[in-house]
Amino acid sequence: MSMKSYINDIWEAVTTTAKGMRITARYGIDVKEEVTIQYPEQRGPVFERFRGFLSNDVKTCISCNMCVKICPVDCISLEAVRGADKKMVLVSYDINIGRCMYCGLCVEVCPPKSLVHTGGFEKSMLGRDEMVLHFIREDAEVIRQRVARQVAEAAAKAAEEARVAESQPKPAAPPASAPEPEKK
Amino acid sequence: MEQLTALIIQKVPALAVAPWAVTLLLIGIVAFIILQFAMVFAGFGTYLERKIAADIQGRIGPNRVGPIGLLQFLADGVKLILKEDIIPTAADNHLFRMAPYLIFTGSFAAFVVVPFGFSLIAADLNIGIYYVMAVTSLVSIGVLLAGWASNNKWSMLGGMRAAAQIVSYEIPVGMALIPAVLVAGSLSTQDIIRSQGGFLGIFGWNLFHNPFSFFSFFLYMVAALAETNRTPFDIPEAESELVSGYNTEYSGIRFGFFFMAEYADVFVVSALATACFLGGWQIPFFNAASLPAVWANLLSLGVFMAKALALVCVIIWIRWTLPRLRVDQLMRMSWKYMVPLTFFNFLGVSLWVLIFKGKGIPQLIASIFG
Repeated sequence: MSMKSYINDIWEAVTTTAKGMRITARYGIDVKEEVTIQYPEQRGPVFERFRGFLSNDVKTCISCNMCVKICPVDCISLEAVRGADKKMVLVSYDINIGRCMYCGLCVEVCPPKSLVHTGGFEKSMLGRDEMVLHFIREDAEVIRQRVARQVAEAAAKAAEEARVAESQPKPAAPPASAPEPEKK
Repeated sequence: MEQLTALIIQKVPALAVAPWAVTLLLIGIVAFIILQFAMVFAGFGTYLERKIAADIQGRIGPNRVGPIGLLQFLADGVKLILKEDIIPTAADNHLFRMAPYLIFTGSFAAFVVVPFGFSLIAADLNIGIYYVMAVTSLVSIGVLLAGWASNNKWSMLGGMRAAAQIVSYEIPVGMALIPAVLVAGSLSTQDIIRSQGGFLGIFGWNLFHNPFSFFSFFLYMVAALAETNRTPFDIPEAESELVSGYNTEYSGIRFGFFFMAEYADVFVVSALATACFLGGWQIPFFNAASLPAVWANLLSLGVFMAKALALVCVIIWIRWTLPRLRVDQLMRMSWKYMVPLTFFNFLGVSLWVLIFKGKGIPQLIASIFG
């Protein structure tokens, strides 16, 4: 090793170290862009077609059962009875998000577009049974009884009207028995 | 220490029956204060290191615990204390237990001669620099012990590497500090700092004394980086090849001791560089002795800490800039470059001191202009 290459080595070590340190100092002092998002405080944008948790607007839902039928993993279950005005009334609408694979088929198939993907993706629970989202808060039995009562009242009213229209005195019609809740 | 003892006995004559007890108590108090300082600095050092690393890498760094993450080190410390202290069955029990204490003692004992301020020094030993060199060698024994006792191939390799590295770099470290000793004519750190005062301000520093002492400072910083096992010379820990080397098998508070020793070492190195080359606690263009004792001490403490912490930041900055050297490169650097260069510097400074009667370039220039 000649003296020249020896000094050259030292010179190279010093200059390259200085160069590297200049670069890191520049990055350290003058931060050009902030890449990290401080997640719980700051949030990135949720994109339009992001498939988050499912949400059903039970007011517009027509209980057509399409979502239940198309779901590949059977995570949606609904129960409905026929109401007094011949429309279906939801008794319960549950989505098991533990099973859901966010394929979006149910959203595509929903005729009134009441079932949608929200932007939500944060949830924590202590047990697996808590993973079922209940979209109808009321107890199923209460709704069933109420609907049955409404149906019975409507039937009684119809019978009364029919009797008046015919204007034929007849013995009082026996009270219409409550129709069985239609299970689907 | 003796003066302080005499002062206390003078104030409270009842203590005169047992002056040794007063001395012992004073020693205990001083040691406790310095231990606290070392521990807080170790915590603060980790915070500083992580923040600087984050800045350099375009991240944010610790920001969860406390305001801007300032209490992170407390959380880390509590975690380390609460963790299970695992000793591998195949490990050499006694040596395994002893190693962290040896390492921590080695780094911590060096604080004795760190001149924090005008008269803030635990003991102004007349062999100050020599004492630091001697006592920090204990660290290499501890590291070797930790590597051997762990009964783990990575630890063993790390310990061997550490011993080779620390022994190699002791020579350049010692040799690079000699210029300051030669200029001051004393090994005591306080004497070295006092020799750098005067009317010249920062040009009174040994850094600007002559060209050789200027290079000496950089040689010292490079060699000291290697002695403290920090990147780019961290081959004993080398987390990517040796799974953090000699402290692989350690957990809990024993690992905490290694950790504290590392940061204590970094501070000692910076403090020594400050004292020997950057004028220590000397306030530029100002004579600390002319102030009341309390203010002189506080001011000089502030100046010293500012200089030392700046050097700590530089050490951290280097760590996040340079990649790790290979073992052979490290050895070549020590024996082929550092040792000859420091000896050359040593010779140069000796001749300079001999020829110019101990006057530095700034002093010579000043003497030309009267």
